[in-house]
Amino acid sequence: MDSKHDHGHNDQHGEDDHAHDAGGHGGVGKYVTVFFALCGLTAISVYVGSFMPGLRVSAPGIMWGAMMAVSCAKASLVILFFMHLKWEANWKYVLTVPASIMSVFLMLMLIPDIGLRTRWYAEERWLYAPPPLEKHEGHEVAHEEAEKSTGDEGNIFDKKTKASH
Amino acid sequence: MSHDAHHAAIKLQYQPSLPIGNGKLCLWLFLSTEIMFFAGLIGTYIVLRFGAPPGTWPAPHDVHLVELIGAANTFVLLMSSVTIVLALEAARNNSSGSAKAWMVATFLLGSVFLGVKAYEYKEKFRHGIYPSKPHSSIYDKADIYYLQACRQRLEGIQKELLDLKAASPVEFSEAQKDQLQHCENVLNNLVKFSEQSAAGTTDVLRQQRAMEIVASAIYPRQHSANSYEHLVDHLAAEGAELLNEQTELRKAISEKKSEQTALKEKLPGLEKQEAAEQNADEKTKLTQQVTESKANIEKLAAAITVDNTRLAAIDGRLALHEFLTGDAEKEHIQHGLNDHPDYAFLKLPMKIPSGNMWASTYFLMTGFHAIHVLVGLIAFALVLPMHLGKRRAHVIENIGLYWHFVDLVWIFLFPLLYLF
Repeated sequence: MDSKHDHGHNDQHGEDDHAHDAGGHGGVGKYVTVFFALCGLTAISVYVGSFMPGLRVSAPGIMWGAMMAVSCAKASLVILFFMHLKWEANWKYVLTVPASIMSVFLMLMLIPDIGLRTRWYAEERWLYAPPPLEKHEGHEVAHEEAEKSTGDEGNIFDKKTKASH
Repeated sequence: MSHDAHHAAIKLQYQPSLPIGNGKLCLWLFLSTEIMFFAGLIGTYIVLRFGAPPGTWPAPHDVHLVELIGAANTFVLLMSSVTIVLALEAARNNSSGSAKAWMVATFLLGSVFLGVKAYEYKEKFRHGIYPSKPHSSIYDKADIYYLQACRQRLEGIQKELLDLKAASPVEFSEAQKDQLQHCENVLNNLVKFSEQSAAGTTDVLRQQRAMEIVASAIYPRQHSANSYEHLVDHLAAEGAELLNEQTELRKAISEKKSEQTALKEKLPGLEKQEAAEQNADEKTKLTQQVTESKANIEKLAAAITVDNTRLAAIDGRLALHEFLTGDAEKEHIQHGLNDHPDYAFLKLPMKIPSGNMWASTYFLMTGFHAIHVLVGLIAFALVLPMHLGKRRAHVIENIGLYWHFVDLVWIFLFPLLYLF
C-alpha cells in the first residue's frame, strides 16, 4: 500500500522505485542466455528455409509453419525478457491482448477477400493475371495444384489457361 | 464490521494511475497501436503473397535477396537489443559511463543495420527493382507489351551510342563499339525477331514461345539451371523450325535465281527480235513481252532480296541460339543477359510474375521498419549527451522498449521476406 501511495504523490520517485524493484528480475546472465536462445532460433529458421530444399517442395506448409512458430517463440522471448513483460502487473494484458486480437482478426478478414482472390477469379480476370509457370508442362502442374486446393473452382482456372494457350 | 470500516478508511487514499510511470504507459499505448500497424502490413503481405496466382510469387533469389545478409542483419539487431538492456542495467546501477558505452554500442549496431539495408536497396535498384513505375522494369508476363518495352529500351541505347559515334568517331572507344554490337545483337536477333515471329503467326503456342524466349534469355526465373533448361527446350523447338525454313528459303532462292537467269538469257533474243520485227502488231506484242520479262526479272530480284533478308535474320537468330546454348558462356547465360558481364549494361525489362506486387510489399514493409530504426537512432543520439544515472533509467527503459519492438518486427519480417 505504501509503495502505491508513493506512486500517487511522486511519479518520478515512483518510477525509480519500480525500476529498482524490476531490476532484480533481470541480470546480465539471463539476458545473454536469452540472446543465445534467439540466435539459435534464428539459425533454425535459416536452416529450415534455406538448407532444406526438399521440404520447400514437398511440404511448404510445414516449412512456413515451422518458421512462424520459431518467430513467435522469438517474439515471446523478446517481449517477456527484454521488454520485461514477464514481471509487469496486470495492465500488460489490457495493452497487448486487444491489439493482438485486432491484428489476428485483420488477417482473418483479409483472407476470404484478397487472400483467396485468385481462387474466385472471373474467367476474364485470368487474361490479365501473371502466367503461373514458364513451361507448358508447368501449366499442368499448376492446374493440378489449383484443382487440388479449390475443388470444382479449379476448373475455371483450368479452362482459362488451356484456352489461352 | 470493523474490517469493513478499515476498508472504508483505505478508500480515501488517492490512486490515480497504473503502477507505472506516465512515460512508460504512453509508450506502451503507442506500442499497442504499433502492433496493429505492423500487423496490418504483415497481414497484407501474407494474403497478397498466398493469394498470388499459384506458383508465381518470386523466390528470394529471383529478386536478389540474400538470406545470409538478412540473417546477419537479424544478428545485428539482436545484439543491439542486448546492448540496450545492458545500458539500462548500468543506468539502474547508477554507472553513467558504462550506460553510455552500451548506448553507443546500440547506436552503432543500429547504424550497421541501416547501412546493410541501404546496401540491399542499392542492389535492388541496380537490378531494376523499384517499388513503382517509371523506374521499375518488372513485367508480370512475357507479352507483346513486354517485347515493346525491351525494344524501346534497346533502341534508346542504340540511338545514344550511334549519336556518340556520329559526334566524334575518334573518341568512340572499343568498349563502346562492343556495347553497340551487343545492343544491336539483342535488339535484332532476340527482340525484333521474336516480335516478328509473334506477329507473323496466329498459333498462340508459337507466339508464347517466341516471347518466352526473350523473357527467359534476359532474366530466367529462379536464376537456376532448371529454368535454363526451359530456355534450351524452347530454343531447340524454334531452332528445328528455323532450320527447315532456312532450307526451304535457300531452295526457293535458287529456283528464283535460275528463273531469273533464264529470263535474262531470253531477253537479248527477244529484244533483237523486237528490233527486227516489221509488222506493227507483232512489234507491239514483242515490246509488251520485253517489258513483262524485265518487270519479272525485277520482281524476282525483289523477292530474292526479301528472302535473303529473312535468311540473314534466321542466320542471326541461329547464331544467337548458339550463343545462348553453347558451353562457352553457359555460366553467365544461366543467370540471364541482365547478369551477363557483357550485357548487364542494357538493364533490360525483366519478366518476374507477381514481381511488382512483391516489390510494393517488400519496400513498404522494410521501408517502414527502416524508418522505425532511424527514429530509434535519433532517440539514442538525443539521450547520449545526458547524464545516464539512476534518475534517467526510465528514459532508457522507454527507448529500450521501443527498440525491442523494432527488433520484434524484424523477427517476423526476416523469415517472411527472406526465407518464405
